Amino acid sequence: MGKLLYFIRQALLNISQNKLIHLISLGTISIAILILGVFLLLLVNVEGWIKNWGGSITMSVYLEDNLPKRQIAVIRQALSSREGVEIQRFISKEEALIELKSALGPQSELVEGLTRNPLPASFEIAIREPKTDPASIKRELEGIPGVVEVQYSEAWIKRFRGVMRLVRVGGMMLGGLLCLGVLFIVTNTIKLTIYSRKEEIEIMKLVGATDWFVKIPFLIEGFIQGATGGLLALVSLFVFYLIMASNKGIFLSFTLLEVVFVPHFYMTAIVGLSSFLGFLGSLMAVGRFFEV
Amino acid sequence: MIQLFHVYKSFGGTPALRDVSFRVRKGEFVFVTGPSGAGKTTLLRIMFGAEKASSGHILINGINLGRIRRKQIALLRRRIGFVFQDFKLLNNKTIFQNVALALEVTGANPSYVRKKTRQALRSLGLIKKEEAYPLQLSGGEQQRVAIARAIVKNPLILLADEPTGNLDPDLTREIMVLFRTIHMKGTTVVVATHNRELLKGTAIRKIYLEKGRVIKED
Repeated sequence: MGKLLYFIRQALLNISQNKLIHLISLGTISIAILILGVFLLLLVNVEGWIKNWGGSITMSVYLEDNLPKRQIAVIRQALSSREGVEIQRFISKEEALIELKSALGPQSELVEGLTRNPLPASFEIAIREPKTDPASIKRELEGIPGVVEVQYSEAWIKRFRGVMRLVRVGGMMLGGLLCLGVLFIVTNTIKLTIYSRKEEIEIMKLVGATDWFVKIPFLIEGFIQGATGGLLALVSLFVFYLIMASNKGIFLSFTLLEVVFVPHFYMTAIVGLSSFLGFLGSLMAVGRFFEV
Repeated sequence: MIQLFHVYKSFGGTPALRDVSFRVRKGEFVFVTGPSGAGKTTLLRIMFGAEKASSGHILINGINLGRIRRKQIALLRRRIGFVFQDFKLLNNKTIFQNVALALEVTGANPSYVRKKTRQALRSLGLIKKEEAYPLQLSGGEQQRVAIARAIVKNPLILLADEPTGNLDPDLTREIMVLFRTIHMKGTTVVVATHNRELLKGTAIRKIYLEKGRVIKED
């Protein structure tokens, strides 16, 4: 315990003796981690919004022609009893034809000459389980007696998932680059403080200090720098969030959207990652510095 | 206590020590002397583990320096006090902090460090200067601080490299009295010096070095 206090005191002394270097480094680390945090904040919110409205899949369940009402009621019951399925409306054959005519507008004459209504009755349903494979839901629903076919916009879902994947990969690459940047900054800051204390380190070694005895305060110094940088970034991110939440109309053109802060797990991860990078950077800096 | 067997040391092809062999017994006081460039500093640095011999064997208190790991060198240095010609004091630390450093690096608890440091400063007449900084002291006082740092950990061996090199004759005498006092308490002392005046009229054993070789002993 006494030793640990000695190391922490030495680390704080190092920081206070190299204030300017540490301040510059701290500012740069905070900005890098803040950029990562802003990206996370946007990702969390965009994913949330998409899940709320765009994430649900709409499907059309087409029925056989001339089904008795009783049979249609059985299908309605089968659909609504399935978890995650929400019946939005039933479209009878007649309603389907009217909708087609209004969709065709001036070209509605095209269907005027039909001797019989070729359009099937259908249920429009929404699937509230975006993680489930829509193809398997389609297969399941097509097994209900009286259902001819189930259709959904596969292309849109694929595009949406593709975009989200791209955003995540891009985020990881950006995060990786920022982490490398933080490592580089911490390594160089610690190297500078080592140089500024070169004489003292040499004397410490000459009077019997082990390598680790000299290194540990620098490791603590890097850790403190990383942790402080992470905390500062988190506070700045919260300020950014407050500004974003109070001005979401201007920022996003959607006043109805709810803006949320990053979850606790991400907050811990931001500070943890920053602290770890600080520690790792100083570990790299102290590598083999003390050949006395 | 100290044994050297056919020690050679060269720096980039330039020989600094050639076939140096001698033995220093426990509790002995020895001068290593010779002109500048004779290899005195190199010899002391090898005995201290700050340099590695190119060949030969060095045993310090039974430990073979050629087969020692880095961590063990640090532990060995805790049992050897070294007084440098240029004092090697930290100007941004007080006298107390400079001396205490030698104990702090061993991981000793703070109350022990305080007690032993004050004891060493008192024995060298520096207790009133403990809050001063090295640059506020005279050359002789700075050298006494360096000696205090070397003896604060009760070393088995005290090595001193030209400890009076920067001092006037009065201060030189004062420092030599200090070394004799330390020796009388049982510490093995090796002092490297080129100052022939220092050696005159003493019965202390002397090892003469020239161009890296031991040329005589008396």
